[in-house]
Amino acid sequence: MKKIIAIIRNEKVEDTKCALKNLGITGLTFLHVTGRGSSKSPFLRGKSLHYAFKRILQRQDDIPSSENQDNRLTETEQGSGFHPKRMLIIVANDSDVRSIIETIITTNQTGHHGDGKIFICPMISAIRVRNGEQGDKALV
Amino acid sequence: MKMIWAIIRPEYTQKVIDALEKIGISAMTRLHVTGHGAEIGATANYSEIPKEMLMLVLSDIDVARAVKIISTVAKTWQKENPGQGAVGDGKIFVTYVDDAYTIRTAETHKNDASFPAKTGTAL
Repeated sequence: MKKIIAIIRNEKVEDTKCALKNLGITGLTFLHVTGRGSSKSPFLRGKSLHYAFKRILQRQDDIPSSENQDNRLTETEQGSGFHPKRMLIIVANDSDVRSIIETIITTNQTGHHGDGKIFICPMISAIRVRNGEQGDKALV
Repeated sequence: MKMIWAIIRPEYTQKVIDALEKIGISAMTRLHVTGHGAEIGATANYSEIPKEMLMLVLSDIDVARAVKIISTVAKTWQKENPGQGAVGDGKIFVTYVDDAYTIRTAETHKNDASFPAKTGTAL
């Protein structure tokens, strides 16, 4: 039994739901989260964006950085790069994990930074609250 | 590769994030959660105390550093017994991660020693 934690784009949630429904996966949990990746690209992170803009402004020596621009930069910096995302949690049998991952990747892949990550964690057991069923039976 | 779930006080979240960023750990996910531990009966009489949860996936080397940073920065400073923290400062849970995928490139990081990027020397 494995726990699949996927962090995906907000706008892809409905597509993912449909794709997983077609796959026969019914047990899903979605969470509203904010997050950021470890990307070193300056245009993807709020704080780095600040520095990137500053560098560009410095290069253009003719244009003095006015107060107005500085204020705008601070606003960007306050975001600190945390973007709203959706966290998807699925607990599945070992045999289903492969197809679930492939489905999530094909539906969510746009090829741009910020598509998200999928983590697979080991899970010891699951218990259905309604009747106390344990293990793989609780997932069906 | 390990996953850290840290439940901390919301007022310390930004401090923890900045401290982690300082040692090179910037990738993380934030969740707003409510709950309680030993606080109930000690400092609060209601059960849905707002907390912030941080989820980080780190290489084995970085786990100890990150746990140390979180546990020192998120600790409440008490006048009467400094360095002890207070009830309700939170918990840190560490679990295994079998496998990780980047959706953009569809590549797996199972045998990738460079993922997640290490922040430098071991603690």
